[in-house]
Amino acid sequence: MYGSGVVKGLALTLKKFFSKKITEQYPEERPFIDHRWRGSLQLDKDACICCNMCVNACPNGVITLESGKDENNKRFLTRYEVNFERCLVCGLCVEACPKQCLKFTREYELATYFRDDVKLGLYHNPKLSAPSSTYAQKTEQKKEG
Amino acid sequence: MRTQEITVNLGPQHPSTHGVFRLVIHLDGEVATGGTSVLGYLHRGLEKLAESRTYPQFIPYTDRLDYLASMSNNLAYVQTVEKLMGIEVPERAEYLRVIFAELQRIASHMVGVGTFVMDLGAVTAVFYPFIHREKILDLFSMTCGGRLTYNYMRIGGLSHDIPEEFLPKLQEFLDYMRTALEEYHQLVTGNEIFLARTKGVGVITKEMAMSYGLSGPNVRASGVCYDVRKAHPYGIYDRFNFNVPVFESGDTFDRYMVRMIEMEESVKIIRQAIKDLPEGPVLGKVPKLIKPPAGEVYHSIENPKGELGFYIVSDGSPKPYRLHIRRPSFVNLGVLEEIIKGWKVADVIAILASLDIVLGEVDG
Repeated sequence: MYGSGVVKGLALTLKKFFSKKITEQYPEERPFIDHRWRGSLQLDKDACICCNMCVNACPNGVITLESGKDENNKRFLTRYEVNFERCLVCGLCVEACPKQCLKFTREYELATYFRDDVKLGLYHNPKLSAPSSTYAQKTEQKKEG
Repeated sequence: MRTQEITVNLGPQHPSTHGVFRLVIHLDGEVATGGTSVLGYLHRGLEKLAESRTYPQFIPYTDRLDYLASMSNNLAYVQTVEKLMGIEVPERAEYLRVIFAELQRIASHMVGVGTFVMDLGAVTAVFYPFIHREKILDLFSMTCGGRLTYNYMRIGGLSHDIPEEFLPKLQEFLDYMRTALEEYHQLVTGNEIFLARTKGVGVITKEMAMSYGLSGPNVRASGVCYDVRKAHPYGIYDRFNFNVPVFESGDTFDRYMVRMIEMEESVKIIRQAIKDLPEGPVLGKVPKLIKPPAGEVYHSIENPKGELGFYIVSDGSPKPYRLHIRRPSFVNLGVLEEIIKGWKVADVIAILASLDIVLGEVDG
C-alpha cells in the first residue's frame, strides 16, 4: 500500500514521544564530566622543576615559563602563563610533565567577558581548587561527580 | 517564451552546504544548468604548518581535518610515520585502534545520513542518529577526555589505555546499535517521500566514479568494489571477517544505503576485535626524539569519507620536510559540478549532502 512506509515511521515517532525524555535541562541540570576530561589547566607551582618540557611539547608555543635560581642552585618558578587563545587543548604539555604538576581540570564553562581573562596566569592563580582531571596522571583516582 | 538564465550563490554561509562551501548555480527556471564550486573559506594551511611542527606535534592538527572522524585521521597519520620509521605497535594497541576507528566510522556515518535526510526536509530524522552518536562520543571522552578533537593515537601506539568501565559500556552500545539501525530503517528507508526524492537522483556512473577518483561509500554506491581495508589491508584488518557493501545504480539512495550497511559491518568488526583483545602495553618502544630517516612514504587508510592518505618527505630532521594530505572529501567534491546538471535546486542540495563532505577536509 502506498504510504505504509510513512505510517510506519510515524508509529516510531509516536512511540518515542511517550518514552523517557533524554533532553538535559542544562543550566539547572549539570552534565556528568568524564574523569579524563581536558578542560582548563592547573599548576602545582611548588612541585614544578622548571624543566621546560611542557614549553617544548606545545605545538603552538602558548606556554611562557620563566625561572630563577636560589642559593642552592635550585630552580624556582617566577612566571607561568598559558595563552589559552591559541591552545589546542591537545594535552601534550600535561603528558610531557615529568613531575605531574601540570594537570587538566574538569571545568567546561571557559567563556569569559574580556579577552585578557582568556590568558591563564597560572603563577598567580594556580587554580588548585578546581576539580582536577586524571588525564595522563599515573595514579588515576576516581572521584564522585 | 524567452527565458533568462539566472545565477544564484549557494553559501558560503548556508546550513545545507555543511560548512563554508560556496556553490554558484546557474539556473534555468528551477533547473540547474551548471555550477561552479568555490573553495578555500576554511583553509588553514595545515600542510605548511606541519613543516614547522615536530612529528608528534602534528597529531592534534590532523584532528582538525575531517572533524567528524578525528580518530581515523590520527590513525592515518601515525601509521604513516610508523611506516617511515619501521616502528612496531603492540598487539593491544592495534586491536584498540581498530575498535576506535570503527566506532568513529559509525559516528561519522550517523552524521552523514542524518544531515542528508535533514536536507531533504525531514528534520526528525537528524535527531535519532545524533542520539546514537552521543553514546559513541561518551565512550571517546571517557577514554581520551575529548568529544570532537581526540588526539588519542600516538606514534607507536596510543596515549592511554582504556578505562575499566569502557568495555561493558561498549558491549551495551553494540547491543543498542542493532535496534537503533532497525529503527532508523523503519523511520527513513521505507518512507515513500524519501524514496521519491532519492531514487535515480544524482546518478554517478561507474566510469564517472573511477575517472573522478572517488573513494569511500560514494564509489561503492556506483558499483566499484574498492575498500582500502580489503584492497591494501593496513594495521590488522586482514584478521577480521567483514563484507564490503557495493550497490550498482550510483544514485543518492544507494549512497545512503552503503553508509547504513557499513555501520552494521563496523559493528561486526568491533565484536570480533573485543573477542580477541589481548592484554599488554598500549605504547611500543619509541625513541624520545622522533627523527625518521631521510626518505619519503605514502600511506592511506579507509576513512569514513573515503581514502585518506598522507605523503611525508623526511630529510632526517625532527620536522617533516614536506607533508601532503590526500583528502577524500576534496576529491569526492570534484564530481558535484557534473552531476547537478538538470536537477532542481532542492535536488542539488540532496546531491551535495549525499556526497557527505566536511569542509575542514576539503579546504585543509
